[in-house]
Amino acid sequence: MDVAVLLFGPAAAAAGSSMVTVRTGTNPTVGSLAPLLCDACPAIAPMLPSLRFALNGEFAHPEAIVRQGDEVALIGLVSGG
Amino acid sequence: MAVDVRISDGPLGPHHADAPLPGGGAAVVFEGIVRDSENGEPIEGLHYEAYEPMAQRQMHAIADDLVQRLGLLRISVEHSRGFVPVGGCSFRLVIIAAHRREAIDAMDRFIDRLKQDAPIWKRAEPSP
Repeated sequence: MDVAVLLFGPAAAAAGSSMVTVRTGTNPTVGSLAPLLCDACPAIAPMLPSLRFALNGEFAHPEAIVRQGDEVALIGLVSGG
Repeated sequence: MAVDVRISDGPLGPHHADAPLPGGGAAVVFEGIVRDSENGEPIEGLHYEAYEPMAQRQMHAIADDLVQRLGLLRISVEHSRGFVPVGGCSFRLVIIAAHRREAIDAMDRFIDRLKQDAPIWKRAEPSP
């Protein structure tokens, strides 16, 4: 299935886009998206150690399952306040 | 309501103190102001980007936790999205508690957790 991953802040700037789509097997885990993202967008690979995934607006464990229609976002180092 | 969280466009307006709360003996107000430089370079302001509604939920959850943990009476949070020029207020945190100690403690704790868990980013607009 195709999973669209939302990007923000420095990750979006590095990618030159606010979204990257990766092709996965059926119902992948959140953790399995990281290497696919690096392949699809090598510019964000150096940021990976500081990145977390959110699934439907909540921080997600790497084992969490992504289902069709879920909203996936990559949350890098934040800088609000 | 013990917790109030708002994200709004542009610089925040001036703070207007709420009516005193029963039992309230300490009100701490923190305002984040956009500095005139970033990493030593002069800037015009900061652009804030928030992943909503997650950013709002995260700030609400942090505030709820601190209200419960420290026995606070109220936390109000305001954060800007979009452009805030130098000198503008982009963040305001108001904490009401019975006593000074827990109010000041909560202030630091909230901001530390905000900077770790609230999906909000800023980008400097360089001076021409």
